[in-house]
Amino acid sequence: MIHLNNVTKTYPNGSVGVEGINLHIQKGEFVFIVGSSGSGKSTLIKLLLKELDPTSGDVMINMVKTNELNRSQVPYLRRNLGVVFQDFRLLPNKTVYENVAFAMRVIEAPSRTIRRNVPAVLSLVGLGQKSRSYPNELSGGEQQRTALARAIVNNPPILICDEPTGNLDPETARGIMQLLDDINKRGTTIVMATHAREIVDEMQKRVVTLQDGHIVRDVEKGGYSDEA
Amino acid sequence: MRPSTIKYLLREGLSGLRKNLLMTMASVVAVAACISILSFSYCVGSNLRHMLHQMEDSIGISVFLNGDLSGEEIETMKTEIGKIDHVVDVEYISPRDALDALKKEWGADEDIFEGLDDSNNPLSHSFQVSLDTIENQSSVLRVLQGMDGIDSIRHGQTETEFLLKVNRVFRVSSILVMLILGVISVMIIMNTIRISVANRRVEINIMKYVGATDWFIRLPFVIEGVIIGLIGAIIPLLLGMPIYAKIISAIYAYIPVIKFVQFRLMGEVFRFLLPFGVVFGGALGVIGSVTSIRKHLRV
Repeated sequence: MIHLNNVTKTYPNGSVGVEGINLHIQKGEFVFIVGSSGSGKSTLIKLLLKELDPTSGDVMINMVKTNELNRSQVPYLRRNLGVVFQDFRLLPNKTVYENVAFAMRVIEAPSRTIRRNVPAVLSLVGLGQKSRSYPNELSGGEQQRTALARAIVNNPPILICDEPTGNLDPETARGIMQLLDDINKRGTTIVMATHAREIVDEMQKRVVTLQDGHIVRDVEKGGYSDEA
Repeated sequence: MRPSTIKYLLREGLSGLRKNLLMTMASVVAVAACISILSFSYCVGSNLRHMLHQMEDSIGISVFLNGDLSGEEIETMKTEIGKIDHVVDVEYISPRDALDALKKEWGADEDIFEGLDDSNNPLSHSFQVSLDTIENQSSVLRVLQGMDGIDSIRHGQTETEFLLKVNRVFRVSSILVMLILGVISVMIIMNTIRISVANRRVEINIMKYVGATDWFIRLPFVIEGVIIGLIGAIIPLLLGMPIYAKIISAIYAYIPVIKFVQFRLMGEVFRFLLPFGVVFGGALGVIGSVTSIRKHLRV
């Protein structure tokens, strides 16, 4: 599903984002990308989202070499990828329902499909009762659930999460992780960059550790580090 | 494109304008100023051209011949004048025709011509020379002045030249002013759209991640620009129609001498100006928004 072959990203100022990365993620996997700040996590996420192109090597998503796509094809690649960020990125002047519907509307989904899918996905993330609320009326956890609903409403086969629990207290974070686990069990491949040691240790999923732009550890079912 | 998508894009475009009302108004005013100048110069210019056309039809050149020419010589001269470049027609007017025409012109007062007949008619043989366009009058005059057998030539040269000069100066200066105002309008629209793009940073970012196409992201901003351009064009054009009519009737009322000059009717002028102005305004909007998007919207 996701294949990075010998991927190196060097920034124009000469600093190295990632170097010689080989990473293969199969359909339905749940993968944590861990590492300290500056280890290359963000670069890796940006390469997957095609916000950046590799300096050398290939990034393949769904059998497509993303570095060979032209501009007009990128939106169609991104429809395969749901994204969740640490800062939620909700539209403050739209309700929960409208925030989620927005993601469908901008890829020109038919109104009928929007009316059918949005309530379904909102009840999946446990926000069925909050669809008319505005983001500032929601708790952090509820805001992140809204963002998650938005990320999966178009049924992307891959969900990319960049520190999704970074702004949440441990209890709320656990709820979000439970939700991500449910989504993963429905067949969605999940790649999650995180600092949260407890969560990684608790989930016991595949863990890829980055350090100075290199993969230094890749374990099938493990914790944040070997000591755990 | 789905109707719901079109509705959505229109709504987004309009909401962008509302959120950014002050800049929107400034842009509309700039476009309106540009379209006003365009309309004004078109109205004046088209009337100037209209007057020149009337002069072409009515004035022409009158050539009066020496009294001692024989019928044959007159005939030869007529052919020669007919051969001059830009002359389209030469009409011979005999002294008797001229006298009849005079009598007709004076109407009720024709008795002052009583006693004049073929034997003592003081009027001379003449030609009425018509030209293709009035711009060529001076070159034809030069040839005529070099011919023998001509007593005098009467023409509207000075008036014509004056009108031609006014028309030329006016055309050049109005195009210049219009260009400058057009550039200013485009720049103000660009700035308005830039602010609108900044206001919607988060939205654009999300649209990008969920896979909206470039054009889907850009269209609301283009729509914003077009709406600015259209409003900026329609307001001065609609105001301009009654104003034009009022000015023309005022000129007729207060300057009676001018009655022999016909101004163009409001309908004639705006039949062209209205659609052209609207398209021009819309084009300013498109140019402004598209350049701004190219500069400020990284999708």
